[in-house]
Amino acid sequence: MFKNMKLRIVILLIIAGFFTSCENYLDINTDPNNPTTVPVKGLMSVTSVRTASNTANLGYFTSYFVQYLASPNAGGNTDTHQEINPNGTWVAIYNVLSNLSDMEKMAEQQGAPNYAGAAKIMKAINLALLVDAWNGVPYSEAFFVQTLKPSYDNGQQLYTEIFSLLTDGIANLQQTTTTLTMGTDDFMFGGNTARWIKVANALRARYLNHLSKTSAYDANAVLAAIANGLESNADDAKVTFTNEVRNPWGDVSINQAGLVLDGWISEQIVEALDGTTFGVVDPRMEFMFSKTRHGTFRGTKNGAGRDADVMDLRLDASTLVEASFYANRTSPVLVMTFAEQKFIEAEARLALNNKPAAYAAYLAGIKAHMDMLAVAAGSRDAYINNPVVSVGADNITLDLIMKEKYVALYLSPETWNDARRYNFKYTNMTIPAQLNPDLNGQFSRRLQYPSSEFSTNSDNVPEVRLSDRIWWDQN
Amino acid sequence: MRTNLLVVLFMLVTSCVMAQTITGKVTSETDGSGVPGATVKVKGSTSGTFTDSDGNYKLNVGSSTTIVVSSIGFETVEISVGNQTIVNVSLKEDATQLSEVVVTSLGIERSKRSLGYSIQSVGSKELTEVKQPNIVSALQGQVSGVQITNTGGGPGMGARIVVRGLTSLNPNGDNQPLFIIDGVPIDNSTNDNSSNSRGMSNRAADINPNDIETISILKGAAATGLYGVRAANGAVVITTKSGKSGSGLTINVGSNFSVEEINKLPEFQKNYGRGWYGIDDGSVYSASGALIEAQSVIDPSYIFYDNYKNFYRTGGMRDHFFNMSGGKDAFTFYTSINNTKQEGIIPFSDWGRTSVRLRGTAKFSEKFNMEASVNYSNSGGNRVPHTTMGERLMYWSHTQDITQYEKPDGTQIAGILSANPLYNAKYMTYEDKVDRTIGNLVFNYKPIDWLQFTYRFGHDFYVDKRDEISPGPKGIAGENRSGLSALGFMEQRRFINRVINSNFFVTFDKEITSDLRATVRAGHELFETGLNYSYNLGEQFVTPDFYSFSNVTRHVISENTYRRRLLGAYGDASLDYKGYLFLNLTARNDWTSTLPKGNNSFFYPSASMSFVFSDVLKLPEAISYGKIRAAYGKVGKDTDPYRTAATYTTATGFPLNNLVGYVRSASRGSDQLVPEMTSTLEFGTELRLLKNRLSLDLTWYKANSKDQILAVPVSTTTGYSQVWINAGEIENKGIELVLNGTPIKKGNFRWDATVNFTRNRNMVVDIADGVTDIPLLTQNGYVNSAVTMRIAKGRPYGDLYGTSYQRYYEGGKPEGTIVLDKDRTKVISNSGSFAGFPLMNTSEQMVLGNGMPKWLAGIRNSFSYKGLSLSFLIDTRWGVDQFDQYGVWLAAFLKPDFTNDRNDVVIFDGVTPEGQPNTQQVWLGQGLGPDGRDYAAGYYRNIHRVISENFVYDASFIKLRNATLAYSLPKKWITPLHLKAASVSTSINNIILWTPWKNFDPESYSTGAGSNATALTGMGYPGARSTFFSLNLTL
Repeated sequence: MFKNMKLRIVILLIIAGFFTSCENYLDINTDPNNPTTVPVKGLMSVTSVRTASNTANLGYFTSYFVQYLASPNAGGNTDTHQEINPNGTWVAIYNVLSNLSDMEKMAEQQGAPNYAGAAKIMKAINLALLVDAWNGVPYSEAFFVQTLKPSYDNGQQLYTEIFSLLTDGIANLQQTTTTLTMGTDDFMFGGNTARWIKVANALRARYLNHLSKTSAYDANAVLAAIANGLESNADDAKVTFTNEVRNPWGDVSINQAGLVLDGWISEQIVEALDGTTFGVVDPRMEFMFSKTRHGTFRGTKNGAGRDADVMDLRLDASTLVEASFYANRTSPVLVMTFAEQKFIEAEARLALNNKPAAYAAYLAGIKAHMDMLAVAAGSRDAYINNPVVSVGADNITLDLIMKEKYVALYLSPETWNDARRYNFKYTNMTIPAQLNPDLNGQFSRRLQYPSSEFSTNSDNVPEVRLSDRIWWDQN
Repeated sequence: MRTNLLVVLFMLVTSCVMAQTITGKVTSETDGSGVPGATVKVKGSTSGTFTDSDGNYKLNVGSSTTIVVSSIGFETVEISVGNQTIVNVSLKEDATQLSEVVVTSLGIERSKRSLGYSIQSVGSKELTEVKQPNIVSALQGQVSGVQITNTGGGPGMGARIVVRGLTSLNPNGDNQPLFIIDGVPIDNSTNDNSSNSRGMSNRAADINPNDIETISILKGAAATGLYGVRAANGAVVITTKSGKSGSGLTINVGSNFSVEEINKLPEFQKNYGRGWYGIDDGSVYSASGALIEAQSVIDPSYIFYDNYKNFYRTGGMRDHFFNMSGGKDAFTFYTSINNTKQEGIIPFSDWGRTSVRLRGTAKFSEKFNMEASVNYSNSGGNRVPHTTMGERLMYWSHTQDITQYEKPDGTQIAGILSANPLYNAKYMTYEDKVDRTIGNLVFNYKPIDWLQFTYRFGHDFYVDKRDEISPGPKGIAGENRSGLSALGFMEQRRFINRVINSNFFVTFDKEITSDLRATVRAGHELFETGLNYSYNLGEQFVTPDFYSFSNVTRHVISENTYRRRLLGAYGDASLDYKGYLFLNLTARNDWTSTLPKGNNSFFYPSASMSFVFSDVLKLPEAISYGKIRAAYGKVGKDTDPYRTAATYTTATGFPLNNLVGYVRSASRGSDQLVPEMTSTLEFGTELRLLKNRLSLDLTWYKANSKDQILAVPVSTTTGYSQVWINAGEIENKGIELVLNGTPIKKGNFRWDATVNFTRNRNMVVDIADGVTDIPLLTQNGYVNSAVTMRIAKGRPYGDLYGTSYQRYYEGGKPEGTIVLDKDRTKVISNSGSFAGFPLMNTSEQMVLGNGMPKWLAGIRNSFSYKGLSLSFLIDTRWGVDQFDQYGVWLAAFLKPDFTNDRNDVVIFDGVTPEGQPNTQQVWLGQGLGPDGRDYAAGYYRNIHRVISENFVYDASFIKLRNATLAYSLPKKWITPLHLKAASVSTSINNIILWTPWKNFDPESYSTGAGSNATALTGMGYPGARSTFFSLNLTL
């Protein structure tokens, strides 16, 4: 019996010991791989890079719509304006917006208005990518799991939000005191707040310009924004990629080089540059896409697939290649350029019927783009001075401005916004072969909502057709 | 055993009055070793005794002349004593009775009659006879209530086991049971490549089946309650072989050799070659071109190559094992070495395992004994990219010889735009190497006869290192890089996994009154798992063909650690009333690290009852044994680590330029999670009829799993793509039936049969608020033929959704019709470019089938005559639909034999949209038809391949899992050779006897044994049949 008593005591002690140590023993569920709090700079680095990659990713679709690219196979889905599922791009943009929302909040809590300002400007850029492609999207109920099914805000109201994000962002950036100095974690401007402010103004001009078909269009307001905008190519908003985090277009080049066919150039842009359409050879071609093995440039017809005599799938047609300005793995992605701003200015000046100013801006835009590409001065000037280009101030037209802007904004999703404002009236631009029959012979005017929204937010996602026009594209 | 003790006591009392005494030794006929604990009874009397540890006995027989000797696992014999005083008895093993004592949770052996729940064991003979190197595959068809699926026929490929249906609504949730070896939990996870499945092994494949004595399957909550959360999906309790004291040294050596061949190939058309619109235009379309016969007149080298047949090779396995066991006085040991090497039917695929095991027991005194074992294994092989290869095999034209794949300079010989899969297989390597040690230590201390302390410690540790190489350009002019990585890369993955288990329990075992015996246990358990996963990517080799991380231009490195701890306290009380009525109660409380503080402690009880009514009631002569049982139990379940907080994660490519970069994690954890709870109710009966010639074990069960912890997919606009919540309920109910019979037993001839039948019905009662379904996985197909496997509310788990042909409903299709009525009349277009062809419903995803089988059955028959035995195991899986992704591709390239009708003119069965019978003739070919109409890409490409419905169909099968013909050499031949036993055998495995499935073996799926998306059959590793030759010697 005595022996058993001892035993019982031992057992009781073991049990007691276990209960007292148990709390600490089990306290190991803090994720060692993923932190619950991160430095603001850790969000800045990724969001600044990904704001650029989102621009490029959306550009991957729109480049088919505006015929920078064409599918090497007949009837390619994007190429023929089918209902593609843009899920990846949608998710990537919302991902960045969510992280920017965190960054904005954290920056405000930590007394870093410069970061809050940058967050707002990047939010504006990403939100505009959404609205320009999808019109109404979730915003006011989004990003913080307020609800599992955020409702859709109206596209026009979201434009108001875009402008106030820019206004507030500029105001934040103008504050001089901050607890956090921005530096190389800002992949866009290396922490230069003045350049953030300039690009915010340039963006305001871009978004005001989107309203050209609406009654709200105000060319003076556009010019007022430009007055505080970019001053030279050195002010361009761009992110230069690296071998570690590659330019999305660089990945396209790599795929194509590995014969995962991708990044084939449309006949539309090749002919616009090689003299076929306009009778002047543009020296920028070699900066934009590859030559064939015969030393020529050769585009592919949209919707029709590669020509029958294209045998070597790398060397018989022009494609994106790493040996180009745009599609190297370390190429920059251009978010907003001085050249674009010049063409916006030209359009606004023309709208105000100030032809000399419009013409000057038009020429400056071409030159800015060529300088950005580092086209040799001789070739540059030869092109600009060609009478087809230098038409004289009296002869400047919207067609000319849009024609040159189309080249200067190569691969940018902004061209699709232009194309819709301009009703695809680019010279020789026709609907692709095998166009999606639901479009009745017209270009598509918007993207379909992604499959993830239909499966997770079906109560709210609007029913739309690709022929539906977004709010600023109504006529 | 308890009942036996009662008998002993009784016998001891009564034996005092007897007079004549006999002595003797009871031995096993198989190896001549003494049989301890055998019952020796005087016939027609209650007096008897047990043999001692060496098999010796002493018994007063009085005036009687006949004794009855019985022991579990042996056939009972009656022996006439006459005037002998020494009676030695040799007992014959009886396989059908081995199940009398079963291993239950915590490794406790219990007599089956006392259990209130269903349990089933598989013995060593059944496990090794099927010649499966993977113990999970070895169980196929041999246990009821269990579904086992091989992911494919590749060497070392994983096999999946699910007990009583899927219980988790979480698409990536683990539905597989806990694996226990000698009381110690081990890891059986399958870590497959998510992007490109390589058919990795489930980790139980590290265990050598020859080392196993029995495997018990614990199914319901009452059976597994003591194991706690980890056994919420059931438990596979493995007991390994051990040495026997006093049996001398036994050595067993054996070898198996096999040849393997593909067991099923698609039926191909052999008439049309590469091309488009009936001509070889040099395009990529592999079989929509010219008539080969006509073309070969122009070009004699233009012939049909049976590339599928030529692509697969004859593989095979060689397996050698050696084991030695024995015991002397207080010590026993068992040791074994095994080496298995398997070469798959896809060239360059192989897998092997070497394992070494030592198990020993030591009895220091009557009060204290201990046991220890250690198992080391090394396994792995080259896992070919079978999915990629399956696809490329399809693109390959059958007018080009696939076996010519490499030039002398090492570059590829490819087809037009199609990579050669053999070249891929040779150079895109993925090798795993697993080093694993499993050890355990057990102490038993029994200070007094009714009290025992048991402590058990187990440790399972492995390192799984994987190297993948995808070569980059060699830099040779004109090299064909088709299908190869643009830059080339190498990946190294390393899993370091550890499972630690400590278990201490006290057993009180006492007779309370002469009719009532109580066994009470109380214990404490500690369980800890840790996984460290590291990943290294190196891309773009600077010097071609030199595969080193020093030779790349880009690195990606990541590392993740997961730790989980669990503490449990449990109790178990068994009451035994007169040996025929049993009550068993269990309770357990777990404290887990993975749930939020405050919610991380949870309690669950179970109760079960067994009543052996044949001991009480007077039953007809035909019923020799009858038992009914009932059980109800709950079992809680926690979740995986790190699901209780919202976190950030490192962005891909960061740190970049010396800067860190974070993004929100896609899944948002919740600090509100509570444990899941599964409750199981089961009833069952066990009957033995016709003098034990027939036995039946029938179970009905119902299990409801509630408050599931699942990641609900949410709109990404919320800032996350998934949110962890508790929600939903899933119900499984079913019937399990085991029939054992000995239809013939005459002289030396014997026929034994076993039937295992399983039927499980599953229902998703509820998911989460506003969530009607969760996609498990979508597998793509051409145009609109993708199929999604989903978990949908109000439906059984695993519906297959996809596009279909339009069906005719007079007055329109009723609202809410989600299941396709395949028998309903099709609507045929009568206008436009598809006039005369069936209309397609591509705007709506309908339920085309369900991926859970209606029932499963395994039938084992064995016949023996003297030393000769023949057995076969037939395994049936019935009423299961799968998506035949391979079929989509084959059809798209016009390769199947049924596309030989491509130039036919037909009238499709169906009605016009107005309901009138369709009368329009159409041509099935491409281009201009005989009627002058342009049919464009033709029926197979424009219609047939576009619709999911054509590729979701019945994947039932009846398979001959194994047939074995064995011969045990007679004693007179082997005794001079100093052998105790010798046998030779030949067997065949995995023969498909019947299936409606069209292409490869339907038992294959795309995503690895850990995945729940089992009905998506892609370009898997095809099934193989094998023929074995085996030799087994016992010294």
